[in-house]
Formats: sequence, structure tokens, C-alpha cells
Amino acid sequence: MDSLGRNGLFGQAALEHIDALYGYAMTLTRDTTKAEDLVQETYLRAAGAANRPDNGNLKGWLFVIMRNAWLNQVRHENSGPHFVDLDNESPIDEVQENPHVVYLRNLEREQVRQAIGSLPDAYREIVVLRDIEGFTYQEIATVLDCPAGTVMSRLGRARGKLRKLLSGRKNKTRIRAV
Amino acid sequence: MEGTATFKNCEDIRGRLTLYLDDELQGEERATIEAHLSECESCAAIFARELGFLKSVRESGPLHVASPELRTKIEGLLSERQTSSPIPVAEAKQSLVGPRRRFGWLVAAAALLILLLPVVVWRMTRRTDTSPIKRPSGFALMAADTHLRRTRGQLPLEMESASPQDISAWFSNKVNFQVKLPNYQESSGQEKLYTLEGARLVGFQNDYAAYVAYRMGDRPISLVITSESAAKPSGGEEIAARGLMFHYNAIDGLKVLTWSDRGLTYALVSDLEERGQQSCIVCHTGTKDRDFIEPLKPH
Repeated sequence: MDSLGRNGLFGQAALEHIDALYGYAMTLTRDTTKAEDLVQETYLRAAGAANRPDNGNLKGWLFVIMRNAWLNQVRHENSGPHFVDLDNESPIDEVQENPHVVYLRNLEREQVRQAIGSLPDAYREIVVLRDIEGFTYQEIATVLDCPAGTVMSRLGRARGKLRKLLSGRKNKTRIRAV
Repeated sequence: MEGTATFKNCEDIRGRLTLYLDDELQGEERATIEAHLSECESCAAIFARELGFLKSVRESGPLHVASPELRTKIEGLLSERQTSSPIPVAEAKQSLVGPRRRFGWLVAAAALLILLLPVVVWRMTRRTDTSPIKRPSGFALMAADTHLRRTRGQLPLEMESASPQDISAWFSNKVNFQVKLPNYQESSGQEKLYTLEGARLVGFQNDYAAYVAYRMGDRPISLVITSESAAKPSGGEEIAARGLMFHYNAIDGLKVLTWSDRGLTYALVSDLEERGQQSCIVCHTGTKDRDFIEPLKPH
């Protein structure tokens, strides 16, 4: 039995990740009710699990449970996964010496959030996992059940798209300001 | 930084800046980039720009915060689970430490359900065996717990259907074995003694097991299926029939029968009473199931 087995520490440790899990649930579902249901389903499954990871892997393990639970729901609704395969999309032009990037440092938090929220599902998910939740490439690969190389390429495209969105928003702000 | 060799070096460095910024580089690789950035203004400028961008993204979190109501619910759920059943009921489909394994085919779970239901019920209420009863297996305990959660309304079905074909199809690509539920009504020509309600996945041994919900009148019946490599039937009263060994346990007032056949392990759970069970036998002894049922009856 691991350190978080049946000794009561599991509940305390798992609860520390509730905001992260809810954020990920919102990323997946874009709906507060569905997100709360998904969080509950995740904790229910985790609480009943026989083999729990050690504390260092707990967060990733919970995210794996959540994503699988969500995929099951999507399959159940016969709508298919909402994620579109974006890995084969044409590469987005890298921002080279783009002066707008400089402004990003001063963008309001909400502006960045809105930009993340307007990313395509697969891009939004990987940005959240890496840049908001701080997972490593390998941990993300485990959560998404894909190769680490796919994580790298998808993350690069997602950030490229995010740069463009933020740059565009900044341009509009500047135009309005003028 | 000028010259072909140097330019190539800059290109290499810039190509790995993202890995560096994401803390994916270690040791010498990391030191090489840091040394280069300290010497190359051009690369250092790109690095600073990328760092600023990532910083603005990373500082935008958390994007959402759980409501106090949700937090309270989860606290209650975790507290309840800690103080109640120690039985594993659900686990992650994949762990962080290993790939999924593929199991071979299989098979007619519901056929066995139909064939064995009268026998199970009959045996459950007529245990005259005086030999010591061994402890139920973990799989049997999990199946009993799953059944209880279902009856309490804590385990919603992920798909609802009375069609064996639809449910069989739903399980494809979700579990590492094939679930093929037969259509009893079609195969027997008799009136159905039970209804099929639907299905869902339940966790067991770091993978998913298949859960199928039936109902006989107002009494729920649960069938849980997993691979034989994940669970081997054991414990309880052993009943041999048709080359198979069935294990019967009474768990928390439930009757649980487990058995393995052709690579899969099944658990059948119900709280059916004797009268209902006897009715099943009456119905089934006149059918083609009779040959299967008869040898299982106690002598």
C-alpha cells in the first residue's frame, strides 16, 4: 500500500487539487454544471481506487481519471470527442521579431485568459496542462495518452496560436486607443 | 554572433529554447544554452521575449476556482469514502506507470447470466454445505460494492438501453476484451424474466471492467466482467458445472457468483429472494437451458 493508501491522508492530499481539477474540467466541458459533475465523478473514482500513486504523482493521476471520465461521457453522448486533430494542421508562422510580443508582458490577466479560452479545444487543453498546471511533457503525454513528441509539437502550435490571438487583441486595443 | 558555424549554433539554441523554458533540459544541455545566452545578445533577446510571453500566460492562472459548495461536496464525498467501504470500486483507466494491455477476445457474458441466474438464486438460498467458506475474492467484493452503489443511486449508468447489441457495441474500444451480450428473448422464444437497463465502466486493477445492469421486477441484478488475468475467481462455496467452477459468496446480504470462462471473469450480483429464484427455475427448466441447470442442483 502506498503512502496515501487507506490512512486518511489521501482525502486531504486529493482535496488540494480541487481548483486545478475544476479548472481542467472547465477546460474540457466549458460548462460549470458539467464541470462540477466531472469533478465529483473524478473524486468518486479516485476515492474508490485500490492502487493509488504516491503524493508526487497524485495530481497527474487525478487528471488522468478526469480525462478518461470525460471521454467516456463524450462517447456516451455519441458526439465523439470534441477535440479535433490539430497536430496535422499547417504550421503557424512563428512570430519573428514581432514588436507586439513585447506588449504581452503588460497585458491584463483577463485578456490572456480570454485568449486561452478562445483557443481550439486541443490547444486550450495543452496550454492549461503545461502553463497553468505546470505538468511536464511526459506527464502531459500520460494524461493525453499520446507520445511526448506530440505534446511538444501541439504545445508549440498552441502557443503560436495564442501569440497570434494576443497580438490581435493588442492591435485592436491600440486602434481603439488611437 | 557572425559566421556560418556560429549562426548554426544560434539556430540550434533557438530550436531548443522552448525545451529550456519548459524545464525539459538537464545537465550539459541546459548549461550549454545558458552559456550561449550569456554571450549572444540576439538569442538572449529572443529568450527574453519568449520568457515574457510564457510568464504572462502562466501568471494568468488559475483560470477557474471551485465554488465553496463544490468543495464542501467533495469533502463530504471523501470523508464518506474513507469511513465506509474499503472495497476498490473505481480506478483510473490507465495508471501513470504503464501502458494498457490488450487481452484476447471474448464472449457471451449475458448468455451465462441467463443460464446461471436460476442456479445462482437456488444455490444462494440452499447452502447446506458444512465445509468452511473461504473469503470472497477482491473481484467479488468489488462487484458487490458496485451493486450496492448502483442500488443507492450513486452509480449512474453511462448508457441506457434494453438492447444487448447496443450495449455490446458500446463496450467496444472501452474495455480490453469483447463483451457480447446475447438476446435471451430471441434465443429462447420465452417471455423475458428480466430487463436489461444499461451499462457503464467501473474501475478494477488499474483498468476498466464492464458493468451491465439488469432488473428482475423491482430487483436489480448486476453483472461485472473483467479479464481473467485481472481477476481469478476464488473463495466462497465452489460449485462445479459443465467444466466451469463457480464461486458463491454472500456479501452484505447480496448473493455473488463469480466464475471464469474463455479468458474473462464474471461476477453476478443480486439480492433476489428464494421465491423469485424458484420462479426462475420453473421457467427455465422447461427450456433448452435445462441441461445446463440440472447438473448444478444439489443432490
